Amino acid sequence: MTTDIIMPQLGESVAEGTVVKWLIPQGGQVEKDQSLLEVETDKVALEVPSPATGSLTEILTQEGETVPVGTLLARLDSQTTNENHVAVDQDARTIAPPASMSSPGAEHPSPAVRQLAKEHAVDLTQVTGTGTGGRITKKDVLNYLAKQECAPSVTLDSEKDGAGHRTAPIHEEIVPLTPMRQTIAERMVQSRQISAHVVTFFEMDFSSLEHVRQRQRLTYLPFVIKGVTQAIHAYPILNSSWSDTGIVMKQEIHIGIAVALDDGLLVPVIQHADQKDLTALSKEIADLAYRARNKQLRPEEVQGGTFSITNHGGTGSLFSTPIIHQPQIAILGVGAIQKRAVVIDDTIVIRPMGYLSLSFDHRVIDGATADRFMSKLKDELEHEQEEISL
Amino acid sequence: MMTTAVAHEVTYLEAISEALDEEMSQDERVFLLGEDIGPYGGAFRITEGFQEKYGEWRVFDTPLSESGIVGAAIGAAMMGMRPIVEMQFADFISCAFDQITEMAAKNHYRWGAAVPMVIRAPYGGGVHGGPFHSVCPEAWFFHTPGLKLVAPSTAYDAKGLLKSAIRDNNPVLYFEHKFLYRRVKETLPPEDFFVPIGEAEIKRKGRDLSVITYGAMVHIALEAAEQLDQEGIDLEVVDLRTLSPLDRHTIVDSVGKTSKVIVLHEATKTGGIGAEISALLAEECFSSLDAPILRIAAPDTPVPYSPPLEEFFLPKARDVIAAARQLVAY
Amino acid sequence: MEISKPEFLQLYYYLLLTRAVEERVTVLYRQGRIAGGVYTSHGMEAISVGYACALQSDDIAAPFHRDMGAFLVRGITPGEIVAQYLGKRTGPTKGKDGNVHLGDLNRGIFAFVSHLADNLPVAVGAALAFKLRGESRVVVTNTGDGGTSRGDFHEALNLASVRKLPVIFFCNNNQYAYSTPLHHQMAIQDVVERAKAYAIPGEIVDGNDVAAIYLMAQSAIQRARAGGGPTFIECKTMRMHGHSEHDSAKYVPRELLEEWKKKDPILKAEQSLKQLGYVDDVELLEVRKRVEKDIEAAVEFAEQSPLPEGPETLEGVYAETLVEVLA
Repeated sequence: MTTDIIMPQLGESVAEGTVVKWLIPQGGQVEKDQSLLEVETDKVALEVPSPATGSLTEILTQEGETVPVGTLLARLDSQTTNENHVAVDQDARTIAPPASMSSPGAEHPSPAVRQLAKEHAVDLTQVTGTGTGGRITKKDVLNYLAKQECAPSVTLDSEKDGAGHRTAPIHEEIVPLTPMRQTIAERMVQSRQISAHVVTFFEMDFSSLEHVRQRQRLTYLPFVIKGVTQAIHAYPILNSSWSDTGIVMKQEIHIGIAVALDDGLLVPVIQHADQKDLTALSKEIADLAYRARNKQLRPEEVQGGTFSITNHGGTGSLFSTPIIHQPQIAILGVGAIQKRAVVIDDTIVIRPMGYLSLSFDHRVIDGATADRFMSKLKDELEHEQEEISL
Repeated sequence: MMTTAVAHEVTYLEAISEALDEEMSQDERVFLLGEDIGPYGGAFRITEGFQEKYGEWRVFDTPLSESGIVGAAIGAAMMGMRPIVEMQFADFISCAFDQITEMAAKNHYRWGAAVPMVIRAPYGGGVHGGPFHSVCPEAWFFHTPGLKLVAPSTAYDAKGLLKSAIRDNNPVLYFEHKFLYRRVKETLPPEDFFVPIGEAEIKRKGRDLSVITYGAMVHIALEAAEQLDQEGIDLEVVDLRTLSPLDRHTIVDSVGKTSKVIVLHEATKTGGIGAEISALLAEECFSSLDAPILRIAAPDTPVPYSPPLEEFFLPKARDVIAAARQLVAY
Repeated sequence: MEISKPEFLQLYYYLLLTRAVEERVTVLYRQGRIAGGVYTSHGMEAISVGYACALQSDDIAAPFHRDMGAFLVRGITPGEIVAQYLGKRTGPTKGKDGNVHLGDLNRGIFAFVSHLADNLPVAVGAALAFKLRGESRVVVTNTGDGGTSRGDFHEALNLASVRKLPVIFFCNNNQYAYSTPLHHQMAIQDVVERAKAYAIPGEIVDGNDVAAIYLMAQSAIQRARAGGGPTFIECKTMRMHGHSEHDSAKYVPRELLEEWKKKDPILKAEQSLKQLGYVDDVELLEVRKRVEKDIEAAVEFAEQSPLPEGPETLEGVYAETLVEVLA
């Protein structure tokens, strides 16, 4: 009878092996347990003994070939049977479903079906169930609602609101407004109405900053904050607010940082940011962000900012036109830092680059001032390394 | 060891080596300790060539002393090092249980002393390892506050999560699946990258049904999804990647959308991570559920050795397919 | 080696302070003011005072629960200790843990866990860090006779010896592991026998003689600093109280306690100080008065400290890790 020679599994993690050498030529005779071939894997190199006595009738995998474990390497015409062959019953096991799966009961709709029916005032006795045992599924309710939507009906007029739109929305769900959502909505619209928003974009080379940052194991943000405070020192008008009697120049620099929450946004404030070193800034950012996310900020910690920063690049965004946090006069957006090919000294080089955007209030600041501020910031960030030592 | 100057295809195993190599070359505080990791290169050859490159102290061969090794790593971590312990097999982690759960996990909570260390645990079956070389022990530690647990399913995640684990200030148990070591390959980007701890990833977007899983079972779920696709059943596959702290949001969002869910893992069923996820869904997702929560897991036995027994033991794509059909019809 | 007057007076002060802190805590316990258990080193103070005084400020102590003296010598204040026992926020664990389960990395002392001998591999790891970085710092650790039967004890000694790490293992042999006498714990007479199997030099010292312990610790530390590897030091002593203050220790023969009472480490230190001509009774009284004042201030500090609030339970499970924090 024929015995199959297969690539053995030589080690728990090994998936493939290489045939190094056939020690018996095709057609040659081999004794049981006599070395038949040399095999090498990621873990070992060893000789494979023959499973039976007989003649090697057919070599299917040539020397130097790498094949998965279990691959048929050769056939042996043998006098004894091969005991190693393992037959696995493919249907050996099935997962037994929980009892509730087999007898769902059409009269007990699932939580999702009940919720949907309640939201859309659906009479479930009108819905045809297509699930097991005639059970109404969520899909059945959605299909029912979709049909209601399309069906021409004499009652349609009564369902219309003043604008002629239908009041009952289909495939929609009302998520109640959280107090935070309401506040964000009001403040954003309000800011758009108050300030004359203009945005200017600068591209920056982060390579030297990246170097320093890596060495000190800090994020970009403390550096950006430091750069902003230095640029504000050069152009203090960025740290001001509008009033009808005149421009209010703020003496202190308190930087707000936008922290995304699961269900909104908070802008905690780093007080006197210009008086703190990178380590202190870094710690305070981590602390404020952590507590913002865990709703542990005190009210005074989200007030009193004089300039804000939003790191929209954290979620992959390149440019943005952020909305000014009133009554401030500007907000800086930090885009994603990506390696790009740039031309420096007529040579194409790869540099970590990022776009920074400044939304500013044109009532107070003109474009040239904003750009000078950004140039100063760019200069600070691009020449970071020499000034910092730990 | 590999260099990472260009985009390149690596196995899951090589991705782990690369992460270790990169972090060791960038940070002198990072060092390895474990059994046979030195000249031998480790039972799975993950640290092959490391001792030549980094010396016998940073690639530290230890006696057979899992508890002693983990204890020593804790002490070194408190002194500012970033030790990475290799368990030869995850099964042997039971010898170090006390140091992990009592010392490492409770240290920061009790007296504020951080323990930035990683324990690499080669785990899982499908490799004919039998009861002592196949176990999935993650649930033992899942129940211990203060530990972080990660379990990557791809080469990308394996590298990115290990780098994040090394830089994390907490004890991180890194469950690397032996079956995936040389079976999954991927082209990795040339630059430094990290996969954040605590974030699940949707490996396949789908409409009809969520499969919440991790480790080698991600590939089982994807295999099932491909077959079910031909029947018009659209599976969403959520790869947890981090087991502790769980990414509750991604789990709840996915099931909130699909309303039907299979929780799949290779570890045994009772008291497994799937039990916690099921409870979480029952608590936070009740009104979105359109069918019972189904768990697919190994039966409550040790991992058997003989191929037909192990074959029976391990969850298969066909289990997922059968369960998915039932759920969709429900 | 000679012991100077200032060195000896320092040892004496910490002996008295250790006893006074623990006696005060025992009083508070009996008054029902301490929620948890109280474990003292009464009669065994010389061991931890002796080894801790031999350390330099950047060395590490990895003590166990009979080592109150080490905490005090390393700079944990009596006030912090009383606050710890009272579960106050000003205790080093902020109420998260009780009794002598405390530590502070800034003051070079590890907190231990109740599982005896768990602190030994951790101590070895700290020594490994020093060796890896080529620093000349050392670690001293301690466990009881009971702890030496645990696997971690043997794993730690073996690892330290194989790699010649700068760690000194003390053993407080106080004859009892809770209620189990030594002869039911091990078939050897001296715990130091256990060090032989790991080729670690072993010494036996009178556990009630603070000067002897101090000098022996110094020479072991010196050897470790010079790259000579670990030493094992067995301190023969007697546990004069129960395992904890709720244990009357009836299983210990009274005669044994009477005999050891005469060898009290404080009495012994006073005799030596006088014999060496370092002090007279007046000076001894001054030290006692200083200790009394320290204790009064400690209790006042602890009592005035606030208790933690319930939700603080949730703090500190994980250490923070710096990540990109902005949206």
